[in-house]
Amino acid sequence: MKQSANNDGGVQSCRQLPCRWIVMTHPGLVIMLLTLAACSSVDRSRQLADPGTPATTIALQVCANCHGAQGASTSPNFPILAAQSAAYLTEQLKSFRSHGRSDPPGYEYMWGISAHLSDAQIDGLAAYFAAQPAVPGHITKPALIDQGRHVFEQVNANGMPACASCHGAKAEGNGQFPRLAGQHADYTVKQLRVFQGTEQRPEGAIMKSVTHGLSPDNMMSVAVFLEALPALK
Amino acid sequence: MNMLPAVLTGWSSRRYWAAVIAIFGMLNPLLVHALPAYARQTGQNCIACHAGGQFPELTPYGRLFKLTGYTIGTRNIPISAMAVASYTKSANPSADPAFAKDAVALFQTGSVFLAGKVTENVGVFAQATYNNYDNQNPDSGKWQGKWASDNFDLRYADRYISSNQDLIFGVSLNNNPSLADPWNTAPAWMQYVPTQFGVTGPDASPIVGQLGAQVGGVSAYAFWNNTVYAEVAGYQTANGVWSFLSQGTANGDQTKLRGTNPYLRIVLSHDWGPHSAMLGLMAMNASVYPDNLMPVGPTTQYRDRGIDAQYQYLLDPHTITAQLSYIKESIGNGNQTGIASNSDNHLRQLKLKASYVYQAKYGGSLGYQSTTGSSDSTLYPDPAGNPDTRAWVPELFWMPIQNVRLGAQFYAYTRFHGATANYDGAGRNPQNNNTLFVYLWGAY
Repeated sequence: MKQSANNDGGVQSCRQLPCRWIVMTHPGLVIMLLTLAACSSVDRSRQLADPGTPATTIALQVCANCHGAQGASTSPNFPILAAQSAAYLTEQLKSFRSHGRSDPPGYEYMWGISAHLSDAQIDGLAAYFAAQPAVPGHITKPALIDQGRHVFEQVNANGMPACASCHGAKAEGNGQFPRLAGQHADYTVKQLRVFQGTEQRPEGAIMKSVTHGLSPDNMMSVAVFLEALPALK
Repeated sequence: MNMLPAVLTGWSSRRYWAAVIAIFGMLNPLLVHALPAYARQTGQNCIACHAGGQFPELTPYGRLFKLTGYTIGTRNIPISAMAVASYTKSANPSADPAFAKDAVALFQTGSVFLAGKVTENVGVFAQATYNNYDNQNPDSGKWQGKWASDNFDLRYADRYISSNQDLIFGVSLNNNPSLADPWNTAPAWMQYVPTQFGVTGPDASPIVGQLGAQVGGVSAYAFWNNTVYAEVAGYQTANGVWSFLSQGTANGDQTKLRGTNPYLRIVLSHDWGPHSAMLGLMAMNASVYPDNLMPVGPTTQYRDRGIDAQYQYLLDPHTITAQLSYIKESIGNGNQTGIASNSDNHLRQLKLKASYVYQAKYGGSLGYQSTTGSSDSTLYPDPAGNPDTRAWVPELFWMPIQNVRLGAQFYAYTRFHGATANYDGAGRNPQNNNTLFVYLWGAY
């Protein structure tokens, strides 16, 4: 391609700068873009690196995409956060942020989302989801309920305490011990496998010994029981 | 300061890039001064937005990311690159340029994207593609590469969401009808990895899918409660102020539309558990001048009406997708414009595809394409004068890492241009067009 006739052969002149060129040749586009750029609202921001973005805004504009506006996620790929223990949520978000929690869905989805959240925003997000109404639960596999209840309430075969002793008699959670009632069974099973077979959730290290003796059947049945628990009489 | 890649040698390419860079510069003064960074805007893995990692199919979250204007996350310098290398082997190559690179491994296309959050409410997806085999030098016969404008979607979006209501709405400036659509059964998105060599379909297809990088349009859309999506748009030939949307498309190759041409879209969507399903309707009317170089006089009236549906099952480690697209097109006034013998013709295009991906690594799909329509010896020059073409398209692919895909597709034809045998009158059978297409796709 030949050089343009008005090229001075050296540094581009100001007139040749791209911004000047587009302003001169595409004024309509420039006006439209500037108008659009001016129409921004921090109240409905999806900005994740601004400590000024209110936690509720982040919860609704970003977190809700996967976890639901009230923390009741539709897909079992994403845990239900409604009525979850605030202390647990805070701990998890900080663990994602510091890359302490490294199970694959954790780093695939949450490392980036949490990377620039401030402590105050994390506390606010935890408070927001903790305050949402608990899900009603649903019974998917009635045949597994009794076995799952047994796993949940019994003292573990290797002498570890029953699930209920930390997570609450109704799996309602307690401080750093998360609420499990109503949680998607698929999510619960996958986390039990992470605890049992990996070191990817160091903040939940206690669960490694608790889950040591759990068979795949036990994991499935207790997860099904927990998902159904709020709906059980 | 030279911000242009060395491979950009044409002034038109420079102007295109200058335009895109200037747009960013105006909206984000920091951008043109900052060092390029490769941090991702959301910091998330590809599979967050792409179902099973298979580009370009979107997950429910990916659709929301797009509909909210690509604005989730933290503003970064939004530059990505993509390249496709391929090997095409046809069953019986002829002298047609489509077979010019038969059984040759080649670097096919490369794209550069400027894509991401610009402001709280504005985001962009702008792609420029270098086609390494754009045209042949008329003197030497050597293939020549060229940069050209590809997909462009600049959008403003806002979202009013509470615990029981959710309304996303926005405006998109784009250069292809249905490009703004977040479902992959829309004409702009229901496609395989593109290749210009070999035979990957009949010559005839609905106009709605043939206007990419030739037109410019503004669409307004809304998505209510993750349930109802509606979009209204109008498209004109992208020239004058909007010529950057068709940069690199030769004037003679650019479809010339009369006035503003409407596009309508409505979708019902529902997610439950790991399932996501949608049912959509699409309509577009287009008035097209018969001669791209002389846009005056009578126009051909295209009326496209489509129905599409998609089902997704997304639960790690499994991803299952089933897609359907059916578009019926009426072609009116073709006898007046000279493109057809009949005053009215119709064309029907059906595309089906089912895919499965395991662990976002190993995948396969089976597609079926059927194009049928009325016979018209002017519109369809092969002896049958009919567009009837049917093909099965199986595919296997492997993604060793999330941004590299190695795939093999096979196009198996049972009919071609209205015949099951000797479709060109010279003894060529549909099976002679069967094509194996192996590709290596990478993005960064």
